[in-house]
Amino acid sequence: MTLRLPDQRLDHWRDRLPDLLSRCSQPIVDLDCGDWTLNCNDLADLCAAVTEAGHQLGRITGRVPETVVSASALGLDASRSNTPSNRELQPNPVTTPASHLLFHNGTLRSGDHLQSERTILLYGDVNPGARISSTADVLVWGRLRGVAHAGCEGSTTAKIVALQLRPLQLRIAEAVARGPEDLPQAGLAEQATLKDGVIAIEPADIQSFQKR
Amino acid sequence: MSTTRTILICSGKGGVGKTTTTANLGIALARQGAKTVVLDADFGLRNLDLLLGLENRIVYTAQEVLAETCRLEQALVKHKQEPNLALLPAGNPRMLEWLKPKDMQAIVALLERQFDYVLIDCPAGIEDGFKNAAAAAREAVVITTPEVAAVRDADRVIGLLNTQGVQPVQLVLNRVRPKMMSNQEMLSVDDVTDILALPLLGLVFEDEQVIVSTNRGEPLTLSDSSSPAAQAYGNIAQRLQGEDVPLMDPSQARRGLRAKMRKLMQTRIF
Ligand SMILES: Nc1ncnc2c1ncn2[C@@H]1O[C@H](COP(=O)(O)OP(=O)(O)O)[C@@H](O)[C@H]1O
Ligand SMILES: [Mg+2]
Repeated sequence: MTLRLPDQRLDHWRDRLPDLLSRCSQPIVDLDCGDWTLNCNDLADLCAAVTEAGHQLGRITGRVPETVVSASALGLDASRSNTPSNRELQPNPVTTPASHLLFHNGTLRSGDHLQSERTILLYGDVNPGARISSTADVLVWGRLRGVAHAGCEGSTTAKIVALQLRPLQLRIAEAVARGPEDLPQAGLAEQATLKDGVIAIEPADIQSFQKR
Repeated sequence: MSTTRTILICSGKGGVGKTTTTANLGIALARQGAKTVVLDADFGLRNLDLLLGLENRIVYTAQEVLAETCRLEQALVKHKQEPNLALLPAGNPRMLEWLKPKDMQAIVALLERQFDYVLIDCPAGIEDGFKNAAAAAREAVVITTPEVAAVRDADRVIGLLNTQGVQPVQLVLNRVRPKMMSNQEMLSVDDVTDILALPLLGLVFEDEQVIVSTNRGEPLTLSDSSSPAAQAYGNIAQRLQGEDVPLMDPSQARRGLRAKMRKLMQTRIF
């Protein structure tokens, strides 16, 4: 299986590596370095981490020539990859305040838990049994049917927004609410905010998304 | 590179029909001419052999093959009536700890040399047994019933299969009760596919014949049974082989049944 280092603008590979490795179940792990420029020291650290986790490093691919050259210099099986760059697939970094926003592309399935210090923008669904939590806002471009927690370190101004808000449970700061039982109106994005300590659900307020 | 299709039959939740599906699909594929082996990776609760009526013919398991105390040919149990089908137990119920992902991969690599299809009957859960089996699979069929808990577990399994690069992953919805569905006492087909977002490989109705055939050790697909489940398994096998067979429609099945009843009532002479 292939282990993909994270998008540079979202996370540092060193932070994500333990988690990525813990998801690997196959003995041989190929490594896709994406857009990272890695020197021999970085690569040696990577190899050590992979071996320590009980895996064997297979092929290394990357889009940055330096990375591939360094890997070859270490005697690793390295080649240039031709997968499209993240830069082409993902939003323009100028308009995305990447440092405040975690963009996650894909559905969270039962048992998944996506957590961040940043506002999370999820493109996909949050299925029943999945959880999404942020110290800031949670924005779901899809159906929210699991558990969402915004302001999970106490921010009472945090909000949860989804195209379809039918969660099992919502939490904002310390407040907890069960999701609405009835079907939401079709085609209406909804938001949950704290009003006098109680979670209130209403149609999403577009103005509140504009730069404050 | 081998062209063998190595397919994990898995579910997360126990008792939803993995073993039944593996046995029936195995027979159906073999009858359609594909050289097929079913690998029992649920060796802690081994019962694929029972369903296939081969329990008393197992001498060795894949463990002995890997330990080189026997040859693969000795461990493979050929089906009595369907020579295109063989069974291989991955292990012995008493040696639970022995197998690792690399062992499953080694077994499957051996099987891929001589079979067109390798169907892996996966244990329930998402622990080591599942991970070992998944490590050796290329694609997967997730079985669920239209129950909330089963769907939840299937969803979890699909997430794990995605991170392991198993592709494609397709869905079989088992134990569908058209009447309960139309009364909305059961999740509908759409409810399930809406959450799991997988291509639907087949629907299998709740069918008493499944239980009868299980007890007899003769999968339904072995005979030319016209029972709904037998047809469903046959259709699934054909779809796996790339044929375009329309899905059964539970609401139509109801109407069909009622129409038949009405006809029966009308023909009766009072
Ligand atoms: N379509 C069906 N109709 C009726 N009974 C079924 C059907 N599918 C499975 N069963 C029954 O459900 C039980 C569990 O099936 P099994 O295949 O052993 O599940 P698993 O391998 O997932 O634990 C068995 O008793 C089996 O006969
Ligand atoms: Mg079973």
